[in-house]
Amino acid sequence: MTASAAPMLEVRDLTLRFGSVTAFADLSFDVARGELFAVIGPNGAGKTSLFNVLSRAYVPTAGSVRFDGADLLRLRISALAGAGVARTFQNLGLFGELTALENVLIGRHHLMRSGTLRSGLWLGYARREERRHRAAAMEALEFTGIGHHAHAPTGTLPFGIQKRVEIARALAMEPKLMLLDEPVAGMSVSEREEITALVRRLHRERDLTLLLVEHDMGMVMRIAQRVLVLDFGRVIAIGTPAEVQRDERVIRAYLGEELEGDLAEVRR
Amino acid sequence: MTAFFQLLFQGIALGCIYALVALGFTVVYRASKVINFAQGSLLLVGAYLVSVLATGLNLPFVLAVIAAIALLAAGCAIFQMMVLQRVLGQPVFVLVMITIGLSIVIDAAIPAIFGGNARILGDPWGASAVHVGGVTFNWVRIWTVLCTALILALYFVFDRFSRYGLAMRATAADEEAALAVGVPVRRVYALTWAIAGGVAVVGGLFLAGFPGSVNPSLGNVSLRAFPAIILGGLDSPPGAVVGGITIGIVEVMASGYAPGWLGSDFSAVAPYVVMILVLLCRPYGLFGTRPVERV
Amino acid sequence: MTRLASLRRRLGARIGAKPAAVLAIAILAIVLPFGLDAFWLTTATFVLIAAIGALGLNVLTGYTGQISLGHAFFLAVGAYTAAVLGGTARLTAAIWLPAAGVVAALCGALVGPTALRLRGLYLAIVTIGLVFIGQHIWFNVAAISGGPGGRSFPPVTFGAFDFSPGQQLTLGGLVIDHNGLYYYLALIILAAAMLFIWNLVRGRPGRAMQAVRDREIAAAIMGVNLARTKMSAFVVSSFLAGVSGALYASYLSFATPGQWSLLLSVQYVAAIIVGGIGTVWGALLGSMVIFALPSVLQSLIPQSSSGGLPIDDISSIAYGLLIIVFFVLEPRGVVGLGARVASLWSRVAMRGGKGGGLSEETQPLERREATWAR
Repeated sequence: MTASAAPMLEVRDLTLRFGSVTAFADLSFDVARGELFAVIGPNGAGKTSLFNVLSRAYVPTAGSVRFDGADLLRLRISALAGAGVARTFQNLGLFGELTALENVLIGRHHLMRSGTLRSGLWLGYARREERRHRAAAMEALEFTGIGHHAHAPTGTLPFGIQKRVEIARALAMEPKLMLLDEPVAGMSVSEREEITALVRRLHRERDLTLLLVEHDMGMVMRIAQRVLVLDFGRVIAIGTPAEVQRDERVIRAYLGEELEGDLAEVRR
Repeated sequence: MTAFFQLLFQGIALGCIYALVALGFTVVYRASKVINFAQGSLLLVGAYLVSVLATGLNLPFVLAVIAAIALLAAGCAIFQMMVLQRVLGQPVFVLVMITIGLSIVIDAAIPAIFGGNARILGDPWGASAVHVGGVTFNWVRIWTVLCTALILALYFVFDRFSRYGLAMRATAADEEAALAVGVPVRRVYALTWAIAGGVAVVGGLFLAGFPGSVNPSLGNVSLRAFPAIILGGLDSPPGAVVGGITIGIVEVMASGYAPGWLGSDFSAVAPYVVMILVLLCRPYGLFGTRPVERV
Repeated sequence: MTRLASLRRRLGARIGAKPAAVLAIAILAIVLPFGLDAFWLTTATFVLIAAIGALGLNVLTGYTGQISLGHAFFLAVGAYTAAVLGGTARLTAAIWLPAAGVVAALCGALVGPTALRLRGLYLAIVTIGLVFIGQHIWFNVAAISGGPGGRSFPPVTFGAFDFSPGQQLTLGGLVIDHNGLYYYLALIILAAAMLFIWNLVRGRPGRAMQAVRDREIAAAIMGVNLARTKMSAFVVSSFLAGVSGALYASYLSFATPGQWSLLLSVQYVAAIIVGGIGTVWGALLGSMVIFALPSVLQSLIPQSSSGGLPIDDISSIAYGLLIIVFFVLEPRGVVGLGARVASLWSRVAMRGGKGGGLSEETQPLERREATWAR
């Protein structure tokens, strides 16, 4: 079997427990190559925990994850970037004292080779490598529309810009799979529109598989190709946005009254 | 076997002193995350205060000790309020540096005022002892153990059952939340320093008791109490006690049984060797809580 | 306008400060010995030597966030390497000076792995243990350290160059004595080390270090190898400590095991905090304050009118008090002081103009505090 025939991500019976608390149990799903796949669910449904397992920050209690045909759970956390997985963080994972450009360059750390001696002595190799990757990092910042913030320390940037720096950093990692953790959380309506367009553009213009965790139903229903609905750590539905929206269990168990308004808005 | 029990008793007595020092550290650390590098110097001040009050002013010894505890506790609380509270909200290392500055001042001021020579404590025990089955129990050591037990019991009752104990625990758990529900956090900080000062007097006086004396090098003992607080876990007062006594026993046993090739005075570093070995197995000490990793 | 400003900032960032300022400092440092008497020249030399070690500590603590109180141990390792190779084996300084750094770096590489398991103050206290275990070894292994009485350390000699007391170098009419020779040697090594570290922290390894300091797990997810990053921080830091320790002992020419004490470590930590955590210049600035202050106090306090109190104690008391006062009044250290002076300066200079330029200067410090408060 060739690697390209396999799904990008195969999750089987994945379970994560903290003591007696179950974050999620028996999750199984595939993400196809080039797909824009979304995981939704109310707060505490286990979405971010799932991301933390997929990015090797948490060790699952049981189950398996295959990424691009290989066992993801055998990779060390710092080997993940090299394998082709990038992520953003719900509450920002930026290095506040570094500039936006330097943050994005951290994303290219695994693509660079200069070590302590070569960098410290500022040898030709390190210099050339630095120049090349700075250009690539700038390109990523330009793609997300914030090239003019490149030299500002990220700690001083507004939240919406910081989110874009994170996306630029993930993009600069040149991943096969990008995990986006609530990219529009805490944003204004116009910012949401811009980020939604950016995610779409990412998916369309870059050869990427996107796995999106989101709270914002409107965004997910508009851009996702398939949606997985989590409730209390269990899969209650999986399918296209249209299928999920019609699913009785989803409407009853999770969407509830308050979200029906949102859905109606989306349908319009 | 007699020698073993002799060493064990001495180890427990020394460990009690470490436990008191460690308690002083953890009380302050738990509330404010500040490692008080002046704790050893406070011990030094405590011992000199008792000595001056008992031999200089000729107060009865018990009265001298109580007065010294009150004075040092008040002094520490005042230092906290006058100096440390001005930098509240600054990074922790700023506060740590100030405690280092304080310890430099005290360590230089004591010999400047009292000279480098040893002076007597004025305690009623001297070398008196009871002998049981060949083992010598010096009265000063018996009192060390008893007083330590009493102070620890008082502290835990206070911590568990008093309003301020609750305030201290609340501040330790979450300073901002404590502030939000009306815990007088500033007063809690002052209180933790007062406790640190009070226990320092007791630790200092027993450290200076037989066969020691009141001299400027007493403060060094606090450096040997670091392994105790690490063993117990920085934020755990019961851990401080267990860690302190363990380290005391380790040190005394090493002085009795360490082979010669380990070098002279190996007992002084034995606590650190034990500490490093323990930390390699349990990175947050025997009782410390592992902080939850936030991603 | 903004592009010009950003270009200037980038250029400044490359060199570490405004080029004119660096040039001015360099010229000042070169002519300084001719304006100082022996007492102050000695002090200045000790400050430069200490700054080399402080720079190393700033890589480990300031840039990588690993709090270490074990610097005295690595200084001692460097010093005793120099003593054994230069004194006992009579090798040239061209060998023992780099070797001091290398041996200390090897020790750092052995200690480094503990930092992978321990966080924050736990690591700090384990490194305190390193100082005590080190002192135990120095006191007991007389073959290396001379035992409790101490031993002499070799003067720096490079072939024809001899830096021993009494030696001097005549360069076109200028006479540079023993103190001056050490001063320039320390200055050259410090300048090279600062340049190296400056390149390092701007490049791939330095970015990784700062990422580890700010958010360890996020850094790992970005592909930063935590073990390797912390390890290289330890190695670089202890290398510089070793070189600094060797120079220090050589300049002192005699040292006892008791000198490599926790207080020495604490002084180094104080130096980087005073000078500026995570800055290249901070190591030098802080060393000027922390390691020159005792000399300043000594010269200020009259030798006779001390009312019977020993001079040493008085200057120690003043030293401690100054540390307390300094941190109460200026918790951000000399860099904070500098920012305050700079903002005052620009407020005066820009009176009537728009005052928007200030926030750029002060904001990084606020953020630095925010990072360290965690």
